[in-house]
Amino acid sequence: MNGRWAAAIVSVILLGTACGKNEDLSPGGYVGAELSSPKPKPEFVLTSMHGGPYDFRRETDGYLTLLFFGYTHCPDVCPVQMANLAAVLDQLPSDVSNHVRVVFVTTDPARDSAQRLRQWLGNFDPSFVGLTGTREELSRVQVEAGVLPAVPDTAGDSASGHDYQVGHAAQVLAYTPDNRERVMYPAGTRQQDWAHDIPLLVQVQ
Amino acid sequence: MLSVSWWCSATGEAWTWHWRAYPGVWLFVVGMVAAYARLAWPRRRQPAERPSARSYGLGAAGLVLIWILLDWPVGTLGSGYLMAVHAAQFLAFSFLVPPLLFGGISPDRWARLEARAGRRAAFRVATHPLITGVAFNLIAIVTHVPSVVDGLMSAQLGAFAIDLAWIFGGIAFWWPVLAPVPARAGGGLVKIGYLFVASMVHSGLGMWLLLSRFPAYATYELAPPIGGRSIMADQAMAGGVMELFGGLIVLGAIAIVFFRWAREEETDTVPVRTEPPPTVATIGGGVSSTPD
Repeated sequence: MNGRWAAAIVSVILLGTACGKNEDLSPGGYVGAELSSPKPKPEFVLTSMHGGPYDFRRETDGYLTLLFFGYTHCPDVCPVQMANLAAVLDQLPSDVSNHVRVVFVTTDPARDSAQRLRQWLGNFDPSFVGLTGTREELSRVQVEAGVLPAVPDTAGDSASGHDYQVGHAAQVLAYTPDNRERVMYPAGTRQQDWAHDIPLLVQVQ
Repeated sequence: MLSVSWWCSATGEAWTWHWRAYPGVWLFVVGMVAAYARLAWPRRRQPAERPSARSYGLGAAGLVLIWILLDWPVGTLGSGYLMAVHAAQFLAFSFLVPPLLFGGISPDRWARLEARAGRRAAFRVATHPLITGVAFNLIAIVTHVPSVVDGLMSAQLGAFAIDLAWIFGGIAFWWPVLAPVPARAGGGLVKIGYLFVASMVHSGLGMWLLLSRFPAYATYELAPPIGGRSIMADQAMAGGVMELFGGLIVLGAIAIVFFRWAREEETDTVPVRTEPPPTVATIGGGVSSTPD
């Protein structure tokens, strides 16, 4: 009883220090970086982690689509972005989370097989979609999405050639249900930021 | 490749089990050992001041624990990767290290400190339970404010400041309970009340972490993950560590203080003399024993 009472006091004190956090909202009211002019959703077809072709535009039409380019051996940004998205979607009401699609496009096709993508993304949320393709296809898709194409950093790595990192765009691109990219979420986006923005983005028609 | 920093802090680098060197930690620990040995185990002393093996053991355990908490891997994990380890560090600095350090000081050294500083007004004020209780809780709250943690833990100097604040906050918290200097009125009940009240904020911090809907600290939320850890599971474990182990330690301390106090009370009430007193004469309304 005393612990709960103390927790309430501590919460008030600690959360009080977080006041003013939302003063940095974009003109549209988002925590993420809002684009000055929305961009159209790119159209591409890649190979799904389940084996078949995946028409990005058609499969995600009408959903809030969160597109991320990364790789499963990534030690930092990729697992954090995926883990935070999964945690927030798990907390949001189903009438919101059911209108969200998370699409992960690999930037490391040599190591990210379909099975590897299924296994890795399944650790976060089985509903996340993993896509792969040839290096050329993936580079083209990244350019179409407006991010810098990923570059494998193989210099000075192990002799096996399997222990390298990939330099890639760290932001999540958010396409609203009207198929337009409106907001970007850089590395460092927190769960509370997602929880604030996703319900707003889902409603954009 | 050997990684060298002077103090453990949140670097944002992926975690590896490769050893990292922290020369600042080593210097700090060496300084602590020197200062503590000078205070608790002076080389020039009277035979009666010789510390017991128990004193050496407790003091050395406290110093070794400080070293373990600050250096790789515990210090590294706690400063930038796992909130549960960070919470365990806070708990150990606050509730384990000070009793061990106090336990290493012999009664004669306390007596000497009493003679030197015990009667000084500033010393008496600084070690008053009201002051130490407020200081400990203030330190506990400020060093858990998310913006403070996220702001300080990414810099080595900031992480050093938090570690230092915890060590001194813990010493302040335990001073009125374990240090016999300065001599104060009030026995076990006062100490029990102090332990209970002064540790409530710590308990509140644990509950706050347990009940939070989102990760409290960006430092740990955005840290490169270790294994398959989920940040909310880590945070819940941090809250659990604070709540469960902190509560157990404080409850254990309360029990020890209570039983010691009860024993002393019992000793005080046992009649020393069972034979009838010698002849008592009343002189001028007063009472005095007449010599044999």
